[in-house]
Amino acid sequence: MTYKTDEIWEDKWVNTTCGVCYCGCGAKVRVVNGVPVKIEGIKESTMGGANAGLCGKGTAGLMYYHDPNRIKKPLLRTNPEKGIGVDPKWKEIEWDEALDIIATRMKKIMEDDPNKILFTNQTMRASDGPHNHPYFYAQAFGVKNNGNFIIGGGSLHCGNACHMLGGLIHGAWSIAPDWRYTKYVLKWGSSKGTGSGHSAMTNARLRADAVRRGIKEIVFDPMGNFAGGKATEWVAILPGTDTAVGLAIANYIVNIRGEMDEIYLKAKTNFPYLIKDDGTYMRHVESKKPLIFDSREGKVKEYDDKSLAFEDCALDGEYEYEGEKVRPCFVPFKEHLKQYTIEWAADVSTVPAAKILEVAKGWLDNAQIGSTITLEGKTYPYRPVSSVTFRGSQGHSNGIHQVAAIDLMSQLVGAEDVPGGTLGWPAIRRAYPGGNYEQTCTVGTDGVIVPSVFYSHDPWPVHAPSYPATNMGCVDLWTHCTLSHIPYVEEMEYIHEKLGMKSKPEMIFGISANFVISNSDWATAVKNFKDCFVVQLDLWVNETDQAIGDIILPDVSYLEKDCWSSEIDAFFFSGSPSHEDWYVHMQQPVAKPVGESRFFMDVYIDIANRVGVLDKFNAKLNSYYGVQDPELQIKPGEVLTWKQIGERFLKWVYGKDADKVQKQGYATWNKAIDDVYWRWNIDTRCPVYMEYLIHDKRGMKKIFDEVGFDLWMDWDQYTPLPTWFWPESHKDLDNEFDLIAFSYRDILHTNNTTFQNPYIDEVSKMCPYTFTITLNTTMAKQRGLKDGDIIWIENKYGVKENGIVKTMEAQSPKVVGIAGQGGLWADGRPIAKGKGANFCKLLPAKFRYFDPVAGNMETAVAVKIYKD
Amino acid sequence: MSNKIHHLVQTMFPPDGSGLKPYEWMVNPTRQQQWIDNQGIFLWLAFFFSEIGAGLYFVSLFYEFKAGLILGWLITLILGGAIHILYLGNPLRAWRMIMKPKTSELSRGIWIIGVFAVMGFLQIISGSSFNVVFNIIMGILCLLIISHGFATMNVIRALPAWSSTMVLPLSVISGVWVGYQLLQFMFVVSKPAEIASGMEVWAEVFFFAYVLCIILYAWGTYHSSEIGKESIIMQGTGELKRISLIGVGGLGVALPLILTLIMWGGDTNAFWIFLRLASVFAGDLAVRYVIMKSAVYKPLLTRQ
Amino acid sequence: MPRWGMVIDVKRCIACWGCTIACKEEHFLPPGVFFNRVLIGETGKFPSSSKLIYPILCNHCSDAACVEACPTGATYVREDGIVAIDDTKCVGCRACLVSCPYQQRTYYDQKVKDKEYFPGQGKTEMELIGEKLYPFKLGTVIKCNFCSERIEDGLKKGLTPGKDEDASPACVNICPVNARVFGDLDDPNSEINRMIMEKKGKQLRKEFGTEPAVYYID
Repeated sequence: MTYKTDEIWEDKWVNTTCGVCYCGCGAKVRVVNGVPVKIEGIKESTMGGANAGLCGKGTAGLMYYHDPNRIKKPLLRTNPEKGIGVDPKWKEIEWDEALDIIATRMKKIMEDDPNKILFTNQTMRASDGPHNHPYFYAQAFGVKNNGNFIIGGGSLHCGNACHMLGGLIHGAWSIAPDWRYTKYVLKWGSSKGTGSGHSAMTNARLRADAVRRGIKEIVFDPMGNFAGGKATEWVAILPGTDTAVGLAIANYIVNIRGEMDEIYLKAKTNFPYLIKDDGTYMRHVESKKPLIFDSREGKVKEYDDKSLAFEDCALDGEYEYEGEKVRPCFVPFKEHLKQYTIEWAADVSTVPAAKILEVAKGWLDNAQIGSTITLEGKTYPYRPVSSVTFRGSQGHSNGIHQVAAIDLMSQLVGAEDVPGGTLGWPAIRRAYPGGNYEQTCTVGTDGVIVPSVFYSHDPWPVHAPSYPATNMGCVDLWTHCTLSHIPYVEEMEYIHEKLGMKSKPEMIFGISANFVISNSDWATAVKNFKDCFVVQLDLWVNETDQAIGDIILPDVSYLEKDCWSSEIDAFFFSGSPSHEDWYVHMQQPVAKPVGESRFFMDVYIDIANRVGVLDKFNAKLNSYYGVQDPELQIKPGEVLTWKQIGERFLKWVYGKDADKVQKQGYATWNKAIDDVYWRWNIDTRCPVYMEYLIHDKRGMKKIFDEVGFDLWMDWDQYTPLPTWFWPESHKDLDNEFDLIAFSYRDILHTNNTTFQNPYIDEVSKMCPYTFTITLNTTMAKQRGLKDGDIIWIENKYGVKENGIVKTMEAQSPKVVGIAGQGGLWADGRPIAKGKGANFCKLLPAKFRYFDPVAGNMETAVAVKIYKD
Repeated sequence: MSNKIHHLVQTMFPPDGSGLKPYEWMVNPTRQQQWIDNQGIFLWLAFFFSEIGAGLYFVSLFYEFKAGLILGWLITLILGGAIHILYLGNPLRAWRMIMKPKTSELSRGIWIIGVFAVMGFLQIISGSSFNVVFNIIMGILCLLIISHGFATMNVIRALPAWSSTMVLPLSVISGVWVGYQLLQFMFVVSKPAEIASGMEVWAEVFFFAYVLCIILYAWGTYHSSEIGKESIIMQGTGELKRISLIGVGGLGVALPLILTLIMWGGDTNAFWIFLRLASVFAGDLAVRYVIMKSAVYKPLLTRQ
Repeated sequence: MPRWGMVIDVKRCIACWGCTIACKEEHFLPPGVFFNRVLIGETGKFPSSSKLIYPILCNHCSDAACVEACPTGATYVREDGIVAIDDTKCVGCRACLVSCPYQQRTYYDQKVKDKEYFPGQGKTEMELIGEKLYPFKLGTVIKCNFCSERIEDGLKKGLTPGKDEDASPACVNICPVNARVFGDLDDPNSEINRMIMEKKGKQLRKEFGTEPAVYYID
């Protein structure tokens, strides 16, 4: 066993960005004799694992290039019939013909209504940036809002409510514990640091150091697997009941112990804002700003009145303004919490009352309210407790309240965006020294932060619901859904009709999406989309392509991609939340494109050119990157490749270092401590009391009543107070359908694309839970089931899925667990075919199973299980 | 069963008959496969033949029966040795094993076989074959060869079912017993009836010793450790259950017992002896198969 | 002469399988062959059960069962503690394979060699170049070699194994959570010895008397 070095005539490492999940860790690829043979991380990078570390699936990414199943030429469907199980009868065609068909069709639709074309990107396949471009690409075609429609994203299982509140509270897309200084971490349906999620390996590295340091990590989860299995303590909880525990802990803090970070509440939340009897803010007669009662002067003032000291903002009492009775919104808030006792929460969540009490105490005792810490000469409040949530807990019909309740604990002790607490990240980006691309948050109306880096629907300021809806997602009405749920619901046509949506989609132009099988009920997805002319750029013919695709264009994988911008605009998936240098990678090709595959940005440009909207797209690019130097801007009439655009724009972004950055494949520069805890230094207030929901409800309800919209919707959830609501899945439980099925992300898999990777496939088989359906050991035994049995899982609507049982102790006895998106059947992905079980199809695509506020899908479902 | 699940079952429960789920490998007690599954079946045969050959040779020494020596010598070397070498990945390098007698039980075994081959050949061709010194040397060599296979297995500490105390005695007695049966059969077809009949006393002794050793092996291994217990349980359940019952219990013990009782006191005849030989042959193969197949490794993933 | 060893921090490990896959790439291992694995199981009863994760590889035992079993001396302990296989001497008897209590060895034959990552679709460029650059001999036993070629090359360049990427095993480099530390067990001041002392490093299946050079800390 030795290297035959004399056989080697080329041996180099190419720096690029990993593209196997959306985290975009720094990666370098070893190329020997022109063949990519190995992937590692980049030691100098703060994006990703320790040293040259990279996770298993990232390391396995090589197979994306080597897979013989990659599409090599454009494919055209010749069988007009569409659907699951129907052979599309693909015919290989030339690129020119394919692009011509696409452009001709687009032009024709645009003459009628450009909103009938849906442009979509993906986070499904990879951090195959650029992420944001489909949005303004769509705008170049005259598409107004694109419906906040990401058919290829992490589907609606991803974080609608999380992102919405992340934006409103932290000005950020995501949250993470401040691993470096925290002592006590609560995780709710989140795998931060132990598996998937934003900046997965960056968080994993920071967490590993933290657990070595001795932090306590308590995980509330239906199963003790990725997060729970590594926690100091795993606490079994029923899916969707986190709110109950969160509210009980909040009640304990506020009403039982009465120990809160009052200064924080007065200075950084809207709790002192005065409200009227109807719950809405009392506003200043002229400025319309919310008001606060100055307890020292005994006077009502505008919230941002310079003469108002934080400590004087009243949190209690009753006052009068303009003849009307007003009180700080904290008053009803406090009162509201009283109903949520620990015993009640224990009943709802199945978490023992003693455990809830223990965690509540641990939380409060570790919060060190009042303490400060000095870092790099700057003094900050020190709150070494962090409570984080993500996909798991928020993916319910009560998602908004789940997230609000979990966040509330942090608010009450002031552990938000301060050392040791919960950090929102990434929210800002400083420009490279001598460069120009910088993004920082601003303070908006009512003192609420306006995120600068956000995907799709901006959380603040909230626009008023309006009629008629102009896009498939109807986000004109659903003002808070980060990604719209309407395109997936069975009642889509009814909703469109009622809400006056005239732009019925006729064409989808997407990238590697697999929404037919990755969202909810497959039949509904096919029904809702099959009449569209579906064009996708893809690596393989996936399930969606096979079921409803019309033209499939061969895309390059990240290993063949020359993309200078991949991380510049996608850093909200990948940056480090900690005090570590700013870091941006590029994607550099390590091999020639497979077959005739082309990078989608170049296909974008080609099509825009054919359709005649390239100048508009180029202008959008100029403004997106803020290029002000006329020399560097793309000029009207210019047709540049993505690489050529990069040669100019990188000069704008990195100044005189552009060449150096391009050569080494990444840029790194100093992050100041103030950029980590940036929010502490600006004057904003978290809208913990969600007053805006009252207005949203009024606006929406008015329209709904006018048009006679009669689908049931839980309007009660539009309440400013985090409140307990039973998730829809629990309401469906009965004697027959007596279990709740839930899904979770396996560290080895990014949705379903990784199922086609033979390296990952091989190790997945060595994981007990990845390709199986997990049941609690005792529960399985009681039902006469054992390891290796084949079972069916069936929901109330007759949709069923089968798989192999694997029992585990570390799972709540009332649930059924399935990892990710298996159960695949596309002929174009033979390795993936038949592996694992598909959870998504079990989710009913009915309107009532969605969070009425944020649009989260209920990602748990009442099921029955039985032997094959 | 849908197509999908069929595929998944194939994936998760490999059809190689190992019965091993990939995610249970070394997490649960894990069966050794190398020396019994697939090509490993050669080793099972090789061990058996070299041992019964040596057994025949050994008992033939006492009866000064040259045909027995020749047949025993041939079985050990041609069947035992050749099959053994066939099992090797690089048969042409087999000579290397002789070069390092100090390294391992295996190479010591090869040495012994080599010496046995040469000395046996000399004994067979020499005029005064049954010289006492020769006999003693060859007797010892035979016993070493008989126990060679199980001795090789016995030194493997990782497999408690093989390293248990009764493995060596069982292997010695089984070699002698099967060899003795071969000899008895050779006598019954080629010599006066009373010779085979006179052998029956020792046949009874060897048989009961053999049965006793099997029982002691099973009992001892079961009580030796958790993992030993696992092996014995495996022998009595699952796919091995049939072989244990019919092969070991039926052909190795019950049928020979019946035949031995029928022939009790020397009431032998060629048919019964042939039948017993065939039964013992099959039974001993089953004993070895079950022992080799049921050896399990201690999982690495337990509370350390 | 150093004696190379490794400490695996089980507390840090999140079972991402980076070690397993990086190792496969480093040594161009065919499907089904692993020099590194991760064992996943659990212990205890609901609700206080916990997940067990153990990354395993050849323990490079100083009193190795495989060495004891090898009839030709093909398997031997090098001066630097690495248990190596001389594939010119291996006869393929697999006694080592059966003897290893950790089951870290694989018999490489035509059947293993013929396996394709994309079954029935031919070997990829990577598999083909691997056979050329890093060939295994048919009919011999293969296993983890602690990336001895990396260590040797690194030492020649004046680098320090365990510290410099180019002198350290691939599984150590790839670990995103720093769960693997490589170093000299004979150097009382080495980081791994300090970790073994402080965190009471344990060897796997010590009772077999094999004296592994891989330690686990919790």
